[in-house]
This record gives sequence, C-alpha cells and structure tokens, in this order.
Amino acid sequence: MSDRIAGLLFLALSIWYGMTAGNYEAGFGDPLGPAAFPRILAVPAALLSLGLILRPDPDPTWSRGVILGRQVATIAVLIAYALLLDPLGFPIATFAAVLLLAKLIGTSWLKAGAAAIIMAPLLFVLFDVLLGLPLPLSPSI
Amino acid sequence: METLTFLAAGFQVALTPTNLALALFGCFAGTIIGSLPGLGPVNGVAILIPLAFSLRLDPTSALIMLSAVYYGAMYGGRISSIMLNIPGDEPAIMTTLDGYPMARKGKAAEALAISGVASFIGATFATVGLTLFAPLLAKAAIYFGPADYFALYVLAFATIGGISGANPIKTLLAACLGLMIGTVGLDPATGTARYTLGSFNLYDGFDPIVAIVGLFAISEVLILFEMHVAGSEPIKRLGRVIPRWSDLKPGFGASLRGSVVGFIAGILPGAGASLGAVMSYSVEKRISNKDDTFGKGDPRGVAAPEAGNNAASGGALIPMLTLGVPGSGTTAVMLAMLVSLNIQPGPLLFQNQPEIVWGLIASLYIANFVLLALNIPMIGIFTRILSLPQWSLMPFVVMVSFLGIYSISHSSFDLLVMVGFGLLGYLLRKLDVSLVPVVLGLLLGADMENNLRRALSISDGSFAILVQSPISIGLYIVTILLLATAAVMSLRDRKRRPAGSEVHTLEE
Amino acid sequence: MKHLLSAAALAALAGFALPGGVTKAEAAECIAPADPGGGWDFTCRTVGRLLTEEGILDAPVQVVNMPGGVGAVAYARVMNSESDNPDLVVATSTVGITQIAQGKYPAGTDAMRWLAMLGADVGVVLVAADSPYNTLDDLFAAMKENVGSVVTSGSTAAGGWDHIRLLMLAQAAGMGPEEFTKIRWVQFDGGTPAVTQMMGGQTQVVVTDLGEIAGFVESGDVKVLAAMSDEPIPAFPDLPTAKSQGYDVTGYNWRGFYTGGKVSDEAYDKWVSNLETLFNSEAWKEAAEANGLIPIWRGGKEFNDYVVEQASQMEAISREIGVIK
Repeated sequence: MSDRIAGLLFLALSIWYGMTAGNYEAGFGDPLGPAAFPRILAVPAALLSLGLILRPDPDPTWSRGVILGRQVATIAVLIAYALLLDPLGFPIATFAAVLLLAKLIGTSWLKAGAAAIIMAPLLFVLFDVLLGLPLPLSPSI
Repeated sequence: METLTFLAAGFQVALTPTNLALALFGCFAGTIIGSLPGLGPVNGVAILIPLAFSLRLDPTSALIMLSAVYYGAMYGGRISSIMLNIPGDEPAIMTTLDGYPMARKGKAAEALAISGVASFIGATFATVGLTLFAPLLAKAAIYFGPADYFALYVLAFATIGGISGANPIKTLLAACLGLMIGTVGLDPATGTARYTLGSFNLYDGFDPIVAIVGLFAISEVLILFEMHVAGSEPIKRLGRVIPRWSDLKPGFGASLRGSVVGFIAGILPGAGASLGAVMSYSVEKRISNKDDTFGKGDPRGVAAPEAGNNAASGGALIPMLTLGVPGSGTTAVMLAMLVSLNIQPGPLLFQNQPEIVWGLIASLYIANFVLLALNIPMIGIFTRILSLPQWSLMPFVVMVSFLGIYSISHSSFDLLVMVGFGLLGYLLRKLDVSLVPVVLGLLLGADMENNLRRALSISDGSFAILVQSPISIGLYIVTILLLATAAVMSLRDRKRRPAGSEVHTLEE
Repeated sequence: MKHLLSAAALAALAGFALPGGVTKAEAAECIAPADPGGGWDFTCRTVGRLLTEEGILDAPVQVVNMPGGVGAVAYARVMNSESDNPDLVVATSTVGITQIAQGKYPAGTDAMRWLAMLGADVGVVLVAADSPYNTLDDLFAAMKENVGSVVTSGSTAAGGWDHIRLLMLAQAAGMGPEEFTKIRWVQFDGGTPAVTQMMGGQTQVVVTDLGEIAGFVESGDVKVLAAMSDEPIPAFPDLPTAKSQGYDVTGYNWRGFYTGGKVSDEAYDKWVSNLETLFNSEAWKEAAEANGLIPIWRGGKEFNDYVVEQASQMEAISREIGVIK
C-alpha cells in the first residue's frame, strides 16, 4: 500500500513536472530549449511510477505512538533551530537544541543538560575560532 | 627521461623539513575538516588559503600544504561515510554503500584502513599517469565532444539501476527524482528560471551538499528512533583497531580496477570524481559480486569507489593543468588555489613554469604518503566515535551538519531545505529506495542536459549527431551490453532463487 | 562522561592543529559569481591578492565562488541578504550588464552601488590553427553563403555578450536580423572549454575575451581573426583589429565591482578610494597586462553613471538584433 501511495504521488509529480516545463520558452538560437529535457524526463518518471503502483513491495512498518511523536518532535526542533539560529544567536539556540535532541533520543535531563553545556561551546570553538567560519554570538533582534 | 629529471628537481624543492611539517599539518587539518558533514575539500582549501598567505609561504610550500589539506579532506569525508552513513562530500556517497554495512558488522577499522589504502593506490596511480602522460592525455580530452559526454552520462545512468540491491524500479525512480531536483534553478544555456516557484533562493538550484547532508544525516536521526525501541542494538562491538594484512588483501584487485576506471573518467573535464566513484563501483560490482555480497559490507565495495574517486581527482588535474579547464568541483578548488598563487594553468604552463608543475606533482606524491602514514595509525581514534552513546553522538552530528551548512551559506533557507531533504530521505529509506541515485541525478543531471543541448546546437537540432562519433557509438554499445547482461543475470537469478527470498533491511 | 571527554579531546587536537584566527568575520569578501578559472574569478582573486600585497587592506580578501545564472544568483543573494554588508564586493563586467539589460537578473542596475572598473578585456574572434579562414572577410563570406555551415561558440548563452559581439560583426559585414537567428551558437561554461572544444573540431569559431584564453594564442593552438579593440592590444600588438579590416565594431569587456545597494556612502567611498590606489600601483598594471587586460579606470559616481548608460545602450542593441523583443 505504501508503495502504491508513493507511486501515485510520484506520478502526480511527474505529470506536474512535465506540464510545467511547457511554460519554459525556447531561447534565441537554442534548438532544444529549456523545456525539452524536463519533458523527456517526465516520461520515464511517469512510467516507473506506474510500475511501482502495479508491482509494489510489501509494506514497511511505519512508526506509531511514542516513536512517531519523538520523530515529529525532532523535526520540529530542527525547524525551530533553523529559524531561530539568527534571532536567538548561536549559544542559546544550540544549547536548547542539543538539550532537546539528547532528551528525545532518550536520556536523563541531567545527561542531556551536560551534553548541551559541553557541546555548545565546543562547537563554537571548532567552527568560529578554529575554522574561522563566523557564527552569530548574540541575539539579533 | 627528461620527465624524471624534472620530477627529481620537484622533489628537491619539496622535501624540506618545513614542507614536510606543512604536509603533516595540512593532512591533519584536512582530515578533521573533511570528517565534519557538510564541509569537504572545497571548504578545507578555502579555509586554509588565507593561512597560506598570512604565513607568507612560497608557492611550492603553499601548494604542498593545500594539496595535503585537499587529500586529507577527501579522506576525512570517508570517515563519516563509513562510521555514520553520512557522506562528507559528493564523491563519498558511494562509500556508504558497503562501508557503513562493514562498520555495522564491527569492521569499521578494516573499512577505514581499506579506504585509506585504496585512496592511496588510486591517487598514486593517477599521479603516475599525470607524470608520464599528461600532454598526451590532454589531447584525448579535447576530442571528447558534447555528444560523447551525453553518451557517457547515459552509460552512467544506465548502470545506476544495478548499484543498489533494492527493487530496480525504485532505484531508477530515485535517479529520476534526482534529475528533476537537478533541473531546479536558472537554466545555464538561456537563463530561464525553472521550477523556482518564484523564489530567488532557488535560482542556483539545490546545493548538492545541502541535499546530501539532509538526505543522509537528518534521515539517520529519524531512523535511529525506530532502531532504539525495536531493541536491535545498532552499535556493534568494535573489531580490531589495527587492521591485519589479511583484512586489506581482498581490496587490492578492486583498488587497481577502480583506479583505471576512475582515472579514465577523471581525464574528461566535467565528469569528475563523483562519476569516477560511480563507474568504478558499478564495474567492480559486475565483476566481483558473485555471491551477492555487495551492499552488505563487501570490502571490495569500499576499495573500488575509493580508488576510483581518488584516481578521478588525480586524472582531472590533467585537463586542469594542461588546458585550464576545471574538470570537477574538487579540481576547481585546485585551480582556484593556483590562481590565488598567481599561476595560470593552460597550454603553456608545462613549458613556461615547469618548476611549478613538477613542484605540484611532487607535492601530490608527498601528500599521498603523509596521509597514509598519518591516518592508518589514527584509525583507532576515529573508531572511538562509535563508542559514544547515541544521546551525545547524534545531537553532535546533527549540530555539526547544521553548522557546516550554515557557516558556508549563512542562510536559514538552506537549513530548512536540509530538514526537508532529511524528511524526504527518511520516507525514501522506509520505502527501501536507495538515496545514492537521488544524489547522483542531482550531481550529474545538469551536465547531462547541457551537453545534450550543446550537441543539438552544434547539429542545428538534428538528433543524428548523438550517434555520429565513434566515441559515442562505442559508449552506447557498452551501455547496451551492460543492460543486456544485467537483464540476463536477473532472469537467471530469479530462476535460481524463489521470489521474495531477498529480504532487505532498512539500513541498506 | 568519559566518551564526551574523548570527543572533546578530538576537537582539542583539531584546535592544536589550527592556529587561531585564520580569518575573521571583518575580513573583506569578494564574490566571484562564477566557477574558478574565468574572468570574474580572476578579477576577485587578483584584486584581492594585490589589495593585501600592496598593503591597502590588512586582512586577506576572502574569495567566494557563487556560480549560477551568469551572475544572477549572486545578484539575488546580495539583494536579498547582503545589501548593507560594507565588507562585500562582487566582481562583474560587461557580461553582467548585458544580462541586466535583457532582464535576466532579478533587478535592474539601480539595485546595487557600482564601485569601479579597473581594466577591460578585449573580445577576440578565434578559429583553430588549421582553419581555412584567415580574415573576418573569409569567415563572413562563408557565413553569408551558407549561414548554417559555420558553428560558432562562446562562453555566454545565446544573446549574451559573446554572442552579441559576433552579431555586431555580422551586422557590419552586411548580414541582417533574419539571418542572425540562423547563426548556430553553442554555449560553453567559459572561454577555455569553448576553445578546447573548437580545437577538438566540435565548433569552428569562438568569440570570447582574450584574457582567459591568451595561453592558447601564445602557444599557437588558435588563430586570431580579429581583436575587437580600437587600438592594437599592448601585450599582443600583432593581432589584427576588426577596425583595421573595415569592421567598425569594438567589443570590450570591462572588469569591475559592485556592492550592495544599501551600503553607506562612507563604506562606498572607502572601497572606491582603495580600488583607485590599487589601480595606480605598478603591480596592478603588470598583472592586468600579463592577463591581456587594458588598464582603464572609472570609479564612483562616474562609473555608476557609465553602468546605467551602458545598460540602456545594451538594451537597444539587443532589441535591434532581435535578442529581446
């Protein structure tokens, strides 16, 4: 079933991809133009999706319950980190992210806190000081 | 024997205590930088070019240090491929296929050692080839036209179906997905914005390294939760720390074959190290996969792509030095490095500045040896990474991935893209779709399309040009033969084994 | 805890290996909106190097390659997130202005502050050493007879500056817009790939800048049919100009820099004066000439006006020869 759903999604993607390509006009003196390659590509992509719909593999076991919750929470932490790294500055954002990730993976608050306290300065020293790749130190609001 | 005289002079300049110390330092720094996901040879060299200036190094010393960083970073990229299933840079993706399964079987040290030795063999093979045949091979590169490049990419994609053990339909779909992702951005031939959804952030398309780190590193974290609870202890007891001779032996034949294939791919400007790694892996798999051990931790599956991509990087120096064409991302870095030192590669470099060329070649030999000497004893330290508990290792890996990407682009958009790719990678892995073809499509697709369009511009729209040169005809024949043998073999396999007996685990 | 310590030890080792302060955030940054090896990369790297060597800047200039969309990607990037960064400059040239004039960048020339140009590259028309064509007349006679018989190429897309320079010559040779669209043009990722592919027999003519491919001219692998300059090029005085063959066309490609549109006057003036100091140094003249550039200075407001003017001229030319409608 999962393969069939994936196949359908991919079929829809291929069709959209091929149709959208039609909007790209051939440039001046370019016989093939920007549309041809995507259109050609859409054909095998669509056929292969059909193949997947017709001959799916057995379903994998999808996670449920607590595990799914932890996975969703992890994604949320990562998105939040991406959005908050600049506004909060590196130390606060990284401390919070490491703390939450360690906790999510499954350890005590104490160990997670220790990991965060050690890792945030360590990473800062590694990237900013040693490698000279600047990181935002203070909140910028 | 004029060549050897030049080379000896090159070594004379290069082999001073200061230069050896610089080589050691460069290898070490490069290895560390390369092992951080998201940072590769490009960043390693970029980070250390200013240092070379501020230390006021002469060109030879600077070249030695930077070549050492370059090799070190290439090797460092393998460490995270093998230990964590996270490729440190583009060519390292093939190393995850067998390297990570080896690590899971407790053979991390062996995999690292084989990777080191194979890299050394590949790089040395290419450097010798460069020493002896550079001007001759540069001529060959000239006669490879757009239609021939297109045929080469067709060959590469035709072999992708056989790369991973999973359902071939899924592997090919993954390649299509990668090719689609690769068309996002401004089209180089006409400047048309494609699939950018109106966002300037997407004008340059998806950066392969952001995609790689997302697909592999972020998805790894999500997979981890499931393994944890299922009770299958993911981390494996460590094997030996210092590998035995007998562990290395099976990799030698594969390394030599991989070196040849990779070197040929490398000489062609544009094809580069990633293609070298892909081709050597698929050739090796066809030759050696008699007991269906590839993809499950076969040492030859580590040796071949490692030798292949290093030989390709070395081979790519030939068009770079003799023509001034940067063959691949990694040689582009070397070219930038030379230009920074006020050396302009091109047809006259060998005549006008032989001391520079031979100094560089000598420094490549030195960097190679130093890397081997430095890293084999350090394998023990690297493998300790695996003994870290997951709750400290995983946040560390994730943070390093984020910061590696962020410190280069300073863009939270890239970080979000990375998380998006992570989610995609997780779903694909759950469905038993290999991630490698996605990345290959993304890496090679643009060049494939551009060369097709160039060929048709040359022919004024006639598709006949694609099969007019002997080179492209030869490549298509090889493609057809490969596909035919693959079809025959899979039919035979199906007869021999009852359907459904092949069980794939998540981690493949 | 013990494991964390070993990770810390690993990082500390790394720290030991890398003496601190390799580069700092305040160091100036130059974006080369192309891959290494081409003209924009040369501009950033050479100017960056000389700025430090001549003692004009203390810290080394960090060069960042940001290829994509013939400079459009870097343009969009500076516009969106670096428009007030006083430490950032971006290399550009006539090629970039052509793209802007044809609406292929995300914004017009007013989105940036134009700093200065330090020199100009000269367009050349090249054929392989064994080509039957020896003059522009030979070439255009063949093209007029059968426009499809000659495959031309260069480092820009159709409609880009290399292509336009060819069309300007074709116009001077008496060809008309209806023939322009039939001229076969192949884009390569730089002048060097274009020349090597021509040497391999894939194409017959390359129009591009002299600087990047000067080595092939010196080595005799290619023949120069015309240099598109007013006067013979100082470093290559023997190359025939288009003008000397009766084609009243020049095709320079200046090399210069812009910075973000919201950079303060103070930072802008500082950059202009730094670049002017560099321009007046002997080292720049040598480096420029060694790479086939003719040193020419325009800076500050004068340069800004020049860019705006050139963009509108380029738009008119593009319209005239049918590249844009």
